Amino acid sequence: MGKKIMVRFFTIPEYERECLFLQEQHRQGWKLDAVYFPGIYLFEACEPEEVVYQLDFNEEGRKELHSYVQIFRDCGWEYLFSFMGYSYFRKPVKDMQQEEGIFCDDASRLDMMRRVFKSRMIPLIVLFALVILPQTFLQASQRDGSLHSFFFYTYVVLFVFYLYIFVRFFLHYRRVSRQ
Amino acid sequence: MDTHIRKVYVPMTETGFYILLCLQQPMHGYGIVQKVKELTEGTILLSPGTMYGSLSKMEKDGLIALLREEEKRKVYQLTDLGCEVLALEKERIVRLYRNMKEVR
Repeated sequence: MGKKIMVRFFTIPEYERECLFLQEQHRQGWKLDAVYFPGIYLFEACEPEEVVYQLDFNEEGRKELHSYVQIFRDCGWEYLFSFMGYSYFRKPVKDMQQEEGIFCDDASRLDMMRRVFKSRMIPLIVLFALVILPQTFLQASQRDGSLHSFFFYTYVVLFVFYLYIFVRFFLHYRRVSRQ
Repeated sequence: MDTHIRKVYVPMTETGFYILLCLQQPMHGYGIVQKVKELTEGTILLSPGTMYGSLSKMEKDGLIALLREEEKRKVYQLTDLGCEVLALEKERIVRLYRNMKEVR
């Protein structure tokens, strides 16, 4: 049976895009088997099928995995695994009577984003404020040799990358809370 | 009832209301999903992520209490505080309904 590895990066607020990517792979006959490392997906060949993939982020649930997974299973969702705090679920469209996800109202979608924010974004913001922000300016003011330039550019790249994640998260949060 | 509870649950979401309504009897999460589906003739299908999140939030806020676990399914029931919050919400909905009929 065929297997393939794909590399795709999704930043923190992009879990919906990740789900669509996994759904698209399944449509083409590749079902998700494992995530090895952030961005490295292992797929297994299967019959092409329309299957909805969903991610939840619930630390409490992972602590009592049996009862957490049971309610999803009862509702027809297959639990795959948890990776980096996210739990992966899927359900074939043929088992649904209407459009379905693991969340049915915006209040609970916002709650999930708040959980992601608390355990994922806050450490990033602290790192950004204490290290990357001061270092970027420090390196900028001390630029003379090539070594300094190297550090400077590294921090600029990190600086831009972090800003990108923050802006994405903010925009996503605003979109969900306005719905 | 403290201000946090009032702020979060008065008024509450439709999901929250149905959960409290069902938990006047001991029930587990999937039991609530089935009951609500039956009550609304299939119009409202509660999702597991929403259900799990709401139940653990309500348990933390003291609106419901865990009674026991049946084959990995946690059975909950309303606490006194939960009954109080549900009564407030019912009052609000009755008022809403009455006003809807009166004002034309």
